[in-house]
Amino acid sequence: MSEEKATDKPAQESLSAGPFGQFLLEHGIPSTRLADSCGVETIELEEKHLEGAMKRFRNSAEVALDLLIAVSGVDSPETFDSVYHLWSYSNSNELVVKVRVPKSSVAAGQLPTVTSLTPFWSAANWHERESYDLVGIRYVGHPYLRRILNPWDWEGHPLRRDYKQVVDALNDKNPHSFR
Amino acid sequence: MAPEKIEALTSTRLKTDEMIINMGPQHPATHGVLRLLLTLDGEFVKHVEPVVGHLHRAQEWQGQNRTWFQYQALIDRVDYLSGMFTSWAMARAAEKVDGCQVPLRGEYMRVIVSEMNRITSHLLWLGTYGIDLGAMFGFPFYPFREREKLLDLLEAISGQRMMFNYIRIGGVQSEAPPGWFAKVSEFVKEFPDRVDEYEAILTNNPIFIKRTKGVGILKKQLALDYGVTGPSLRASGVPLDLRKTKPYSVYDRLKFEVPIHEGDGDTFDRYVLRVKEMRESNEILRQCLEQIPGGTADELRERRKACNSCGKADCSNCGGDLMIMAKKQNAGLRIKAGEGFDAIESPRGILGCYIISTGGDTAYRFKWRNPSFCNLAALPDLLIDHPIADIMAIFGSIDVILPDVDR
Amino acid sequence: MNPAVFEIGKFARLTVIWLSIIFGAVWAACWAVGVFAPALINASGMPTETASLASEVLRALVPVVAVAVFIPINAMFMVLCERRALALFTVRKGPNRVGPDGLLQTAADAVKLLFKEDITPHGADAVMFTAAPIIFFAPSIIGVLPLLAAASGNHELFRSVNLPTGIFYVLAIASIPVVGIVMGGWASNNKYSLVGALRSAAQAISYEIPLVLSIVAVCLMAGTLDVVKIADQQKDSLLSWNIFGGGALLPYVNLVVAGLQGNNEQVQAIMQHFQAQPLGPFAAVLMVVCCIIFFGIYITGACAEVNRIPFDLPEAESELVSGYNTEYSGIKFAIFFLAEFTNLFVVCSIASIMFLGGGHAPLPGLEQGFTEMLGGILKQLPGSKEIFSPGWLINSLVNPSTVSQAFWIILKTYSLVIFAILIRATLPRFRIDQLMAFGWKRLIPLSLILLIALTYLRELV
Repeated sequence: MSEEKATDKPAQESLSAGPFGQFLLEHGIPSTRLADSCGVETIELEEKHLEGAMKRFRNSAEVALDLLIAVSGVDSPETFDSVYHLWSYSNSNELVVKVRVPKSSVAAGQLPTVTSLTPFWSAANWHERESYDLVGIRYVGHPYLRRILNPWDWEGHPLRRDYKQVVDALNDKNPHSFR
Repeated sequence: MAPEKIEALTSTRLKTDEMIINMGPQHPATHGVLRLLLTLDGEFVKHVEPVVGHLHRAQEWQGQNRTWFQYQALIDRVDYLSGMFTSWAMARAAEKVDGCQVPLRGEYMRVIVSEMNRITSHLLWLGTYGIDLGAMFGFPFYPFREREKLLDLLEAISGQRMMFNYIRIGGVQSEAPPGWFAKVSEFVKEFPDRVDEYEAILTNNPIFIKRTKGVGILKKQLALDYGVTGPSLRASGVPLDLRKTKPYSVYDRLKFEVPIHEGDGDTFDRYVLRVKEMRESNEILRQCLEQIPGGTADELRERRKACNSCGKADCSNCGGDLMIMAKKQNAGLRIKAGEGFDAIESPRGILGCYIISTGGDTAYRFKWRNPSFCNLAALPDLLIDHPIADIMAIFGSIDVILPDVDR
Repeated sequence: MNPAVFEIGKFARLTVIWLSIIFGAVWAACWAVGVFAPALINASGMPTETASLASEVLRALVPVVAVAVFIPINAMFMVLCERRALALFTVRKGPNRVGPDGLLQTAADAVKLLFKEDITPHGADAVMFTAAPIIFFAPSIIGVLPLLAAASGNHELFRSVNLPTGIFYVLAIASIPVVGIVMGGWASNNKYSLVGALRSAAQAISYEIPLVLSIVAVCLMAGTLDVVKIADQQKDSLLSWNIFGGGALLPYVNLVVAGLQGNNEQVQAIMQHFQAQPLGPFAAVLMVVCCIIFFGIYITGACAEVNRIPFDLPEAESELVSGYNTEYSGIKFAIFFLAEFTNLFVVCSIASIMFLGGGHAPLPGLEQGFTEMLGGILKQLPGSKEIFSPGWLINSLVNPSTVSQAFWIILKTYSLVIFAILIRATLPRFRIDQLMAFGWKRLIPLSLILLIALTYLRELV
């Protein structure tokens, strides 16, 4: 698939901070508001602020974003995103948090790094392993960052846009084809 | 088993070498291909590492490389026991991104088929859980008797027994065949009696109680930490059911209780909860059959004779709330650019779907949030210090479907 | 017609057909070896000495032939019976394709198993691995012999295998198979097998005690270890069966009957007997209760002994794959399978001999009436004196008393087998620690207390 433009590129004009952005500002954590995804507030955090912000979201009684629904790695055109969907067990709050690592800042042969949430939030454990496995984002501080869906000796990260299959099982001309 | 009991058993025993045993991926009781690397001290589990991924079929990759229309047919395989729900989660996320509104009758049809699907899923769980506990040939087949009836009905409406491909982006695939609604209401009437039958076999069975009470206690705090959802969470006393807390579709029009068990959250509570949930699903079905706009398919067909089934959107017999599909289903199906996440309450917990669309005929990124995947992550903490015999009792009780984990 | 009734009818038909095949074959084999061949030898004009020696040898071989013919066919039937009965209990059809109505399913399975590759896993102890199924199977053949004598009503051909300490011998032999299990589990070089084998050993030791204690109770009441005598003592009626206190209630029932009939003399006589034992009726009722509980204990212990659900921990499928026989395939697995079902049959037949009156009819007069009726018919056959004539053939084939005894013991034993299958269809499996606790903390104390109670009650009746 060609390099189509992802729509969630940083908003041109800066939006005013939403309720969750305000909450973070009160605790002295800066965030950037992105375009809402289907009516849900979406903020971008710098990687160094991720852990602090998440801890506050989770432990604050009023916000109570204590259900980490999913951690998704996304290979956007210019960045590697780690997307966190936060919900609440007790109320109907929803929030999308993105941490974006520009591709230009990732050295060749290296993986983009994001702080791991696993040490204080077990729910992140397998999601981060999956994101590492499929998109190739390395979560620093993860206790057991090992491939989870692919075999342990798999090479490459299949959901990357530039991933080339070693064996193309469906290609007739491939000598390793299963056909 | 209570921790003090474990202590009493373990402290007086001789210290022996630990044994590493490989349970699965080919083991008769792992419901598929889960591999558990167990470190045992005698018969007691000291450390567990679940190894998943043996059934990985790159569902997300396929979502990004198949057109929306093609991919709709594949996603039932993500969780083969509740295909309606995987379709529905994907359809809802896509509709959210697309801004498409599903007609009311379509929503009701979705609720009806997926509640039927929820009952089949719980029935299968009930049967296989018996096998996990060693009731080898006994009651597993009683739940299957009812499941068979439901699958026949679902087959009649969708053309497939398990991979339905019935709920589509924009609505549902087709109107019910003649006589379908009557059969469903017949089933709804007799089902509570059948559930009584299962309960008669199990709920007061002394061996069953011995095997399940106090085993595999999922503490509330642990469940919240791991993001466990679904019946396993509700058995631990957390009232999170999206049908109630974030009512989607037409669930806000229906009166039902979300069963919550204020117990320890052991395997017995999870059993009790699922049985209660089946009864509730049956109740939801009954209400849906009464409320559905346009009545049964047969009545609707009679009405449509007046306008000769014109199919126009402004027709009082064919359009508006009485439609079942709001989007054209063909290979050119496209979703507007945008990103969105939506989740529904599947039989196993919160089933979510995260879609990034660029407006093309395929998704830019497709991500599943599978309840089994998240619930299974909590398994190691549940198994520690339990004997081997309890592994399957506990693993079975959190109702994990391996294709749902591995995708 | 109600489909359930229809299925039950089919099951009954299948059972009757198979049972007639089994016992027809056994009967025919025994008759051929024990009656027909000696007669042939005698008629052949051999020297008398040689002929009588040969017939003696042949007669001595009869029990062995009976067992050798019986066990494989019976195991085949029991597998089919189990599958069909389970299907019946769980609203299914069961195997119904091979042969008429699934009659030959297990025969096909057996043939398949014989042709399977016999695999010895890498790293296994080959000698032990091969010896294990044999050691597991052999006791069920030799253990069943004394029971033959009791089951056939001490028929002259089976008298030779009866022992004065028969039940003691049977129980001693019945505890050997666990050695085979442990050997097989250990030799398989598989952790699941080993765990299964060790569980089996622990379980056999725990449950043998209540099992033996309940048999001891029966022997205590009977005053003998001889199975033939124990069976004979229960011949009067239902009330003289050991499960109902071995005749403890009989005098009181007689009293009631006599009272109803207005037979004053008899009432007087019995009343005099009671004056010596005023606590008699209570003791008798308590004794009956004790015996029924002992029967329950025996069935529990027997289920554990032959690794049936809810005590099938050694081969717990959801935990240990298949337990001690995980690594076995082909003929060795078939032998394990065969022995398992034979063991089930043996414990059920012990139960029916020890508790349920052996081959005796439940109602007085039934057995005698049948014997006389059949005997009368046989006598009228022409030429019964003349050797090899049709009359002789039938007379030597059909012994009225044996026919009656065989009928009742078959009925009782297979009813117990089906009861075991019903248990299997109902209950989940115990966990190993619960199993041990149940055995040591509940069953053994209970059976000891009941045993003591029984000794005293016996004096009071």
